[in-house]
Amino acid sequence: MSVAERNNVVEHGDPRGQPIVFAHGFGCDQNMWRFVWPAFAGERRVILFDHVGAGGSDAGAYNPERYGSLQGYAGDVLEICHELELTDVVFVGHSVSAMIGALAAAAEPERFARLVLVGPSPRYVDDGDYVGGFTREDVDGLLESMDANYLGWSSAMAPVIMANADRPQLGKELTNSFCRADPEIARRFARVTFLSDNRADLARVRTPSLVLQCADDVIAPRAVGEYVHARLAGSRLVLLEATGHCPNLSAPEETVAAIAAYLAS
Amino acid sequence: MIDDTLLEDAAEDLFEDAPCGYLSTRLDGTIVKVNRTFESWTGRDRGELLGRTRFQELLAPGARIYHETHYAPLLRMQGEVRGIAVEILCCDGARLPALINSVLRHDAEGRPQVIRTTVFDASDRRRYEQELLRARRREQEIARELQRGMLSGELPEADGLELDVAYRPGVAGMEVGGDWYDAFWLDDGETVGLVVGDVVGRGIGAAATMGQLRSAVRALASTGLGPAALVTALDEYARRHGVGRMTTLVYAELGLASRRLRYAVAGHPPPLLVVPGEEPCLVWDGRSLPLDAHRVSAHGRGEAIRVLAPGSAILLYTDGLVERRARPLDEGLDDLLREVAARRAEPVAGLVPAVVRALQDAENTDDVCLLAARVGARAVGC
Repeated sequence: MSVAERNNVVEHGDPRGQPIVFAHGFGCDQNMWRFVWPAFAGERRVILFDHVGAGGSDAGAYNPERYGSLQGYAGDVLEICHELELTDVVFVGHSVSAMIGALAAAAEPERFARLVLVGPSPRYVDDGDYVGGFTREDVDGLLESMDANYLGWSSAMAPVIMANADRPQLGKELTNSFCRADPEIARRFARVTFLSDNRADLARVRTPSLVLQCADDVIAPRAVGEYVHARLAGSRLVLLEATGHCPNLSAPEETVAAIAAYLAS
Repeated sequence: MIDDTLLEDAAEDLFEDAPCGYLSTRLDGTIVKVNRTFESWTGRDRGELLGRTRFQELLAPGARIYHETHYAPLLRMQGEVRGIAVEILCCDGARLPALINSVLRHDAEGRPQVIRTTVFDASDRRRYEQELLRARRREQEIARELQRGMLSGELPEADGLELDVAYRPGVAGMEVGGDWYDAFWLDDGETVGLVVGDVVGRGIGAAATMGQLRSAVRALASTGLGPAALVTALDEYARRHGVGRMTTLVYAELGLASRRLRYAVAGHPPPLLVVPGEEPCLVWDGRSLPLDAHRVSAHGRGEAIRVLAPGSAILLYTDGLVERRARPLDEGLDDLLREVAARRAEPVAGLVPAVVRALQDAENTDDVCLLAARVGARAVGC
């Protein structure tokens, strides 16, 4: 199985253009970028993918050891870059994928031209003076929420969802399919996302970066965005008017404009 | 007589005292309209809520994360969300388990304007679901404990015998798989019985079946049947008791003094033989079908006998070691031969974990089991 199949890689735009890779965060899949990527397809090579266990990826490729830390996901990003022979990459990561991109860029800096980090957080749980915004109990509460919501994800449905990645019209008939994932994998991804501490990794990143910070983002509050900006050498911080954690959906025009302005600079 | 006045509810009344909570919010979640049912369920009145409170602020912190990462994106992408489970924080500190449905209302130009949400009390349903979930988790734990208990026995030790095993439980669906191994002394005190088997299925059923077959093999082996007769008897056992259909296994008896290896392979991947001075090879004799493969049949069970040169080793394993999706089995077997050949001179205790590590594959989610025995190594040079 190729990496492109494993991660459900989808390409748009100009195959000879500069590659721009969009990575979705915890929760849903590459559809999170549906209102954003078309703006870059004119002159760039747009690459979308799903993390293993999400969307149309091959859940059978999930391995708890490999994906037990964000490094495993960063490894997948690098494998995608290798297989597609991408260089001079613009990496746009939302939520937890912002840190995944930072880890990938720290490992192979020569491959990345710029990073765009949308709502990044190097650590979600408070730690001493550091305010991530959440307590350990909050994370347990999230896992309970996920349990309560995955009861609708019966084993009878799983094969239908997993086997029809090539027939999206069928997927659309299934409610909430954009955020469906194997419950056990999703629980593990939630743990890895919300219990990781990648603060020390920020200093290893040399790639120029843009931090996009929303107003009133309960997942990644403004103080966290400023923390990331302060510790990422060569980063720029842009505060969006958009509220919430998903400006790629709630304010795509503003998000596109901020990314485009940064890439043009 | 039906009182018609009750059938002609005013729209206002339908809204305020509907049998569900009703909210309208702005796109950022700010509540702009709420009905009496919601007020009475949560103990919060509209004076406190309207224009001041965002719906997500009424959720427990865990549910708030879920709201931001699942509910809000889905609503934007689909225009509606149905059946999301949340806990709403009531005024008195209690939590109301609820199921919510939301739709996004657009203006004439198609721009999203307002979110309408209905809230259903799901207290009883949630309790029952939690019970089911606990029961399922408990079952998985029991299966794991069962498996651990059965596979944790000590291996036979003797001068002139090197024996080691590696076992890595599979991860598909996070349930235990059906691979097992065993090694024990036969009654003559100088022959070791070696087993590696693979039961169809996963979970508690597979673990229980594995336990039955493992005990049956030990009991049958102690009667001195020999490999072919043992597998025949095990076949009969499986058929009579309806357990372990299509199980594959290899059973071998290895004499320490005689260095005689006698084995039967029932539908299982071929044992691998490492003889000093020769290339490692797979042995394809002594084979027959998996257990209870034919409901009514008296097909013969073969076995083979070899006398091993001093220092020879036999490796038994399950398909998880060599089988990968999207790769022919032949290639997996070739990889195994190559990895063993590269480490043939190592002691068994080093060889076994090294081979498992070398063949480890991020994509493999099956159980992996490898058992190796070397005989007469210390006799060399005597």
